[in-house]
Amino acid sequence: MASESTGLMTALLNKSLLSQLAMPPAEGQPVQTIEMLMSNTETIPGQSIIQMMGVVTGSTVRAKHIGKDILAGFKNIVGGELKGYTELLQEARAQALQRLVMEAHSRGANAIVNIRFATSAIAGGAAELMAYGTAVVVG
Amino acid sequence: MQQDEADLLLSVGLFLFVTVGPLLFSWIFGNIYQKKKQEELGVRVKAFGTDNLTTLKTPPAQVSASGLLSANIIMSVSWWQKLVGGLKTIFGGQVETWDRVLAWARKEALQRLREQARAKGFDNVINVRLDTSEIQSSKGRNTAIEILAYGTGIKT
Repeated sequence: MASESTGLMTALLNKSLLSQLAMPPAEGQPVQTIEMLMSNTETIPGQSIIQMMGVVTGSTVRAKHIGKDILAGFKNIVGGELKGYTELLQEARAQALQRLVMEAHSRGANAIVNIRFATSAIAGGAAELMAYGTAVVVG
Repeated sequence: MQQDEADLLLSVGLFLFVTVGPLLFSWIFGNIYQKKKQEELGVRVKAFGTDNLTTLKTPPAQVSASGLLSANIIMSVSWWQKLVGGLKTIFGGQVETWDRVLAWARKEALQRLREQARAKGFDNVINVRLDTSEIQSSKGRNTAIEILAYGTGIKT
């Protein structure tokens, strides 16, 4: 009983956190409309930095689907690309970037410079994908 | 007497089929498949023309627009290559099977970045970085390698 209620609480908490993440803080616009200049160089090429807004991070932890895992096991016979995983990690990285953009947006930045990607394997077939960079105002 | 010999032959044959069969299959079809894919990639690289990637941080000319680009690929070795590579680690030295697959994966990731840049209308990609990470299945049996290539696309 106790574990059930804590599970429910966690679910509710997660839901509220997720809803906060899914909505931009200020205008309440949909996520896709946020325009953010992104670059992995120290400046946005062709523009100059006016103000630094600090380091922003975005991350997501993904585990693989069991069906895809079995399919990948068969693909291992001949080797080569595992397309299912390529797409999975691509989507996950896009989500990490989206979270990065959300955080930068909430700080009032209009660009993120010097973006770096990091991947770390978490036990049990899950991987954490992280993107980090410096939120800046450019003009 | 003859019955016994036939039985023995059958069981030995079955044993070999179960143990060596998959490996032989992996060796033959893995070679054919990987060679074909690598040739396809070679054709794509050749057809693309001048390379638009650079690891320099400064753009070569005045820039009008820029954007972050990334391309990834997850590569695995075949059962045969895994076995050969595993045996090689006992004696040390160059592990050719992983060597070849990783070089191929990097080439493919870079080519994807080039094609993506062209598709999005960027003239060059500056500050290209390559990142390698290990991906493991939930039981840790199948190890795959992810190669991520990313950079900043610029329009001159």
